[in-house]
Amino acid sequence: MERTVTVVPEDGLHARPASKFVETANKFDADVQLGRADEDDLVPAASMLAVTGLGVGHDESVRLVAEGDDAEAALDALEDILSTPEAKQ
Amino acid sequence: MTERTLSGIGVTPLSGVGTVVWYRPDADLPEPPAPVDVDAEAELARFEDARAAAEDELEAERERTAERVGEEEAAVFDAHVQFLNDPQITDGVSDAIESGLPAEHAVQETFTEFVEQFENMGGRMGERADDLRDVRDRLVRVLSDGERVDLSSLPEGSVVVAERLTPSDTAQLDPERVAGFVTVTGGRTSHAAIFARSLALPAIVGVGEELQSVEDGTEVVVDGESGDLVVDPSDERKEAAAAAADVDIRHEAVETADGVDIEVAANIGTLADLGPAVDRGADGVGLFRTEFLFLDRESPPDEDEQYEAYVEALESFDGGRVVVRTLDIGGDKPVPYLDLPDEENPFLGERGIRRSLGPDADLFETQVRALLRAAASADGANLSVMLPLVSTVEELRAGRERFESVAADLDAEGVANELPEFGIMVETPAAAFMADQFAPHVDFFSIGTNDLAQYVMAAERGNERVSELGDYRQPAVLRAIDATVSAAEGEDCWVGMCGEMAGDPDLTELLVGLGLDELSMSAVTVPQVKAAVAETDTADARDLAERVLQADTKAEVAEILTLDQ
Repeated sequence: MERTVTVVPEDGLHARPASKFVETANKFDADVQLGRADEDDLVPAASMLAVTGLGVGHDESVRLVAEGDDAEAALDALEDILSTPEAKQ
Repeated sequence: MTERTLSGIGVTPLSGVGTVVWYRPDADLPEPPAPVDVDAEAELARFEDARAAAEDELEAERERTAERVGEEEAAVFDAHVQFLNDPQITDGVSDAIESGLPAEHAVQETFTEFVEQFENMGGRMGERADDLRDVRDRLVRVLSDGERVDLSSLPEGSVVVAERLTPSDTAQLDPERVAGFVTVTGGRTSHAAIFARSLALPAIVGVGEELQSVEDGTEVVVDGESGDLVVDPSDERKEAAAAAADVDIRHEAVETADGVDIEVAANIGTLADLGPAVDRGADGVGLFRTEFLFLDRESPPDEDEQYEAYVEALESFDGGRVVVRTLDIGGDKPVPYLDLPDEENPFLGERGIRRSLGPDADLFETQVRALLRAAASADGANLSVMLPLVSTVEELRAGRERFESVAADLDAEGVANELPEFGIMVETPAAAFMADQFAPHVDFFSIGTNDLAQYVMAAERGNERVSELGDYRQPAVLRAIDATVSAAEGEDCWVGMCGEMAGDPDLTELLVGLGLDELSMSAVTVPQVKAAVAETDTADARDLAERVLQADTKAEVAEILTLDQ
């Protein structure tokens, strides 16, 4: 199961959004991987190091690939995080 | 010894004198033993124990930071826990242990590899490298029962000097004992800088490698305003800094030289701001920006949580007034769980009272319930509430009716409640023009100068290209303030001011002369403004205000104010 999503948070996949993303990826019974939409390489979504290491910024597109019982639910939840702007003060 | 000066970036307008205590958390590890001596199974168990202990520490520091500094700053510890439990890290460490390294060396090696990787990527990744280093040092310390300077029990008057201070470090600092801190790296928005501001500590960041030449035990003056670190200061320098550091704090109410009471209060966003407000001598709270209770979370705070927050603010001041502004959401303050529309001009769109009477009516009702209950608490008589961004009399009436109808509901439920003192923010030209119509319906006005200047001058806040126009010293802004104060004269309506202008001690005499009864500002400048009030004579101040109101340009306003100094 695969989906391409545009990253909405100002910070990109860093700091808070990344933290929330990894936390969520770990909640589901699914193996989720992600990568830049225009590249073949994928990294585990459950790893904060790997996720922030991708260096994905605001407005870039990422590819999410999930396998397992909760694959669809996991993709829905992760897509939701990537498409929600973060609160700023 | 002659004094010398190093310069960096000052992050708080405060000075401090103290003795340097170097904080070097990453001392080198001893050489690892030969692989044959390492019991891999035992080392793996040590690593697991250390990981659990480090996670406990992080949870505790998260709590403490959330309480003392705020949710925003506390969230970084969540990222630390994630790095700590990251599969790439745990696998890497396990592999290194299997290959014959003791746990602390395996941790050091694995993390350092990732730290370098992130550092090489530059930019935002540099911050992640700092986080990783922080987690690594914590683990190594736990594993080696590391001896290092204990930041939570430094001698009084210590100036902490470090390469960098991580959120874990600053969470341990005891602001009562620390005279300030100075770091080699960092900028105005670094964790350390934000921390210094919220706790009102003198601090300088980004001094550079030259800082390494300042030895442990050296006497220094930290000038957080200019960014100067004076090493081996002369006696005069120390006295000047010490005088700047303490003359100012007055915990008692202040009056002008001729005996007119002026309330000097603090603006707060979260409960973490209460401590510094009390410490800096604020009489109370002149602006509690309640939207901060709603930001940075998944769902809005419920009635009880809000009630507790308002009561805590009331209890923090001995009889001091606490002015709570109802939700001011919209504009530049998005909230993730509210479906805020995209607007072309958010500052001119649905924000403040417009949302509370419209789409956020339910949120508003919950807040009103909490406020009415808080007004009936032990210190509830000191509670005042005000509505943001009012521009018509209908909005004021509707807002007021809301409080009355909710009070009736609470009465019907048998829940104790009181109607608090009731006011509005004057931030729109409409409110300033109509102030005489508003005055009979309210107990007070609070002039929000940041928004008032923006709307009077049609110059967006934060847009540097129009910052000259949006300046609160523009004659049109001063006239809007004068119109508001004059309209309240003769009515039973006091007038306060919150916003940056109120915290500018160079303008205190003018504001007293214009007839303001209360000034509310960020806690840091409360002592300076109190000192300025005490020096003011109201007859002279009125004379100054009259001259300033005749000025036809901002330059002329500035000139009159400078001549008056």
